[in-house]
Amino acid sequence: MVAALRVEALTKRFGAFKALDQMSFVLEQGEIHALCGENGAGKSTLIRCLSGLWPHSSYDGQIWVADQIAHFSGIKDAEKAGIAVIYQELALVPDMTVAENLFLGAEPTRWGLVQWDPIYQQASLLFRELGIELDPTQKIGELGIGQRQLVEIAKALMKKSRILLLDEPTAALTETEVETLLRILGQLKAHGVSCLYISHKLDEVLSIADRMTVIRDGCTIATLTAENASKAELIRLMVGREIDQLFPKRKSQVGGCVLQVQELTVTHPQTHEPVIKDLSFEVKAGEVLGVGGLMGAGRTELALHLFAGWGNRTHGALVFCGKSWPETDPHRSIHAGMMYVTEDRKGQGLVLDQGIGFNISLAALDQVGWFLDVDQEQTINSNFFAQLQIKAPHLETPVQALSGGNQQKVVLAKALATHPNLVILDEPTRGIDVGAKLEVYALINAMTDAGKAVILISSELPELMGISDRILVLSRGRKGGEFSASEADQEQLLEAAMCHA
Amino acid sequence: MTPISRHFSMAIGLILIWLFFAFATDNFLSPRNLTMLSIEVAVTATLALGMLLVLLPGMIDLSVGSGVGMIGGIAAVLIFRLDWSAGWSMVVGMVVGILVWTGMGALIAKQRIPSFIITLGGLLVFKGLFWKIISSETVPVVAGGQENALSILTTYYLPTWAGSLLLVLLLALMVSLQWRKRKSRARHGFPLEPLPLTWLKGLITFQACLLAVLVLNQFQGIPLALLVLLGVAAGVHVLIQHTRFGRYLYAIGGNREAALLSGVPIDRVIIGAFGALGLIVALSGYLQTAYSGASTTTIGNLMELDAIAACVIGGTSLSGGRGHVLGVLIGAVIMATLLNGMTLMAVAPETKFIARGTVLALAVWMDIRLSKS
Repeated sequence: MVAALRVEALTKRFGAFKALDQMSFVLEQGEIHALCGENGAGKSTLIRCLSGLWPHSSYDGQIWVADQIAHFSGIKDAEKAGIAVIYQELALVPDMTVAENLFLGAEPTRWGLVQWDPIYQQASLLFRELGIELDPTQKIGELGIGQRQLVEIAKALMKKSRILLLDEPTAALTETEVETLLRILGQLKAHGVSCLYISHKLDEVLSIADRMTVIRDGCTIATLTAENASKAELIRLMVGREIDQLFPKRKSQVGGCVLQVQELTVTHPQTHEPVIKDLSFEVKAGEVLGVGGLMGAGRTELALHLFAGWGNRTHGALVFCGKSWPETDPHRSIHAGMMYVTEDRKGQGLVLDQGIGFNISLAALDQVGWFLDVDQEQTINSNFFAQLQIKAPHLETPVQALSGGNQQKVVLAKALATHPNLVILDEPTRGIDVGAKLEVYALINAMTDAGKAVILISSELPELMGISDRILVLSRGRKGGEFSASEADQEQLLEAAMCHA
Repeated sequence: MTPISRHFSMAIGLILIWLFFAFATDNFLSPRNLTMLSIEVAVTATLALGMLLVLLPGMIDLSVGSGVGMIGGIAAVLIFRLDWSAGWSMVVGMVVGILVWTGMGALIAKQRIPSFIITLGGLLVFKGLFWKIISSETVPVVAGGQENALSILTTYYLPTWAGSLLLVLLLALMVSLQWRKRKSRARHGFPLEPLPLTWLKGLITFQACLLAVLVLNQFQGIPLALLVLLGVAAGVHVLIQHTRFGRYLYAIGGNREAALLSGVPIDRVIIGAFGALGLIVALSGYLQTAYSGASTTTIGNLMELDAIAACVIGGTSLSGGRGHVLGVLIGAVIMATLLNGMTLMAVAPETKFIARGTVLALAVWMDIRLSKS
């Protein structure tokens, strides 16, 4: 039998960086095939190639769909070939009914009028076939995330898709929803539909997948069958890399406790589901607390709760710099000596139209007075401009003209200009080159040398282990484990990150 | 494109428009008409500078035209029907302006209602209140043959000697400010504009001011309204360029999320911007009502659109984060000139609307084209 999908030596370059490097695997007909890898291993890039988002001319290697080489130049082509992507962010219209969404853009018409009866009949029929218990006349907005996901899958099948790409489909689901989803996937398999299943949750993967391929740094590492795979083996293959000497050693003096968090529970502002559960930890002056965990583990939410009062605190006692720390806003946090450096520097970190100086001093203008003292402001700006070695002609260069690494330095300079006692760095090295990374690491050491406490949120395990003194691992909002950096290894960390999954 | 070359291309456009009207009419360049034009510019530009304050953080205000009518009406009614002194009447109007606009700002910032909607509501509500206040009649700003603090806004002219003195003082101020700025920039290692260019720009500015004063003095002198505009322009410039508040306006318009995470008190800043706009709406209301001589139901009609047009022609971004006082001033001169010139040519009202709308669209289109290249 011909394989449903075959990827051969797929290589996708971004400049000199290879997001995919000679990747190969085979998805058989009626198979559930899991793709496992760390954040940044190349999973998203692969999906983009398979779904036609990156056209076929932009990568090397071949994608075979059944017995034909795919030449997708856009998403439509991939859809025509029978490939459907079920994304984490669902693409449904909330104000329309389930059936209306299923037929959106493909409504059967007679004389230009939509034929509503067949739409609802066909939708019910499809649901019955799949064993999905859903009312086609319900509005999408009234459904939970899990049910919406099922609608998405039904929509894909409606379009006669034979290959489903599921990108972290259970990330936001409750346990019963996960069970339903897995049951439906089992049924689809019986209908001959093939699924490429991408998930961090290894237990889930092991229970549903027929085979699994581990990828790392854009390369295929191994393909295992369900019988001879184990969680430990998968983790070993996913990590499998040595930490090199990228990380300068730190000799900072560890001082008193700066932030103490006890039994913190925070709920989501809209869904009111707990995002942080019963979390306790502390950070001392002069040390780096690494915070690890998978995407969606609640790391950024934790940072934003501490700094900006994100969500609702339902329980917990927090002490910052000797004072009780209530739910707050950035203005007050900065005054109290806490600063947050966002993971999204373009979206939330910088005013791109404005110059470097404007951005550096933005959070520290209280020091300059209501009527801006130009000399004082420039002194602050020039200091950090020089200290962080921002590569630009002068302080009035618009930040949008800078490279990613230099933009990151501007965001860091803005944080330092507020003279914080605690700096929360959220993915500070995302998307910057190795040279700039080294400078950021050196800067973190300089911060702790100056007696500041640092919370470092990072998805890169080597970075966490190389830079942190201690590592707190979050797993679905709970503490998955806490390690001192010297005793932790990557397997332990990954296991801790998945322990509540 | 740098602001300088943008101003340059706008100035060229303005000169072309002036040349057109100079040839198309007999008296466009007469001292009398240019004096009237300067008063009309003062009204439009003052309101546009207020609009700039809310456009910078990415907001908009559609209610200023109705506000101009309403607050002018309040002052006129207090003076003419209730016999209040003009000074106190105007103070009351300004307090009303600040309070009402602060209130709208609070609704926009705290309740997260889009400014477009709140001020669209304001446009209608204030128009209705305005007509109620003046009972849909014509209320003079002052009894016939007399004058008061409100009426002199557009009827008083500086004596020629005072106008000349003002010119000299302004010139001295500009030179010293430029000198200080240059020294400060040099001290901090900023790129400096070539000295001859600075001299050239100074010379052109000086000549323009000199010409303006000479022409205005040939009629009756510098109108008081122009001084009001000068004061508002200086105030707004200092506010947005030299205070923390102004910095925050640009930051909110440039990237609201980043501003929030940088500790910018967004709600307070937006409320403050609307409060300041309320004061300027009151001032514009006095200028416009005084210029008409009476408060009537049509005062302020469509002035919000002139104000927005002046800002946009002057390079202000409607999505926020970009805009300067000088640009807005030039934009206001263009809008006021169009109206003045077409009135002299006795163009039909319907044609005036079409022409103003076309120029607005054309100017913005040109701006987009130029800034791409």
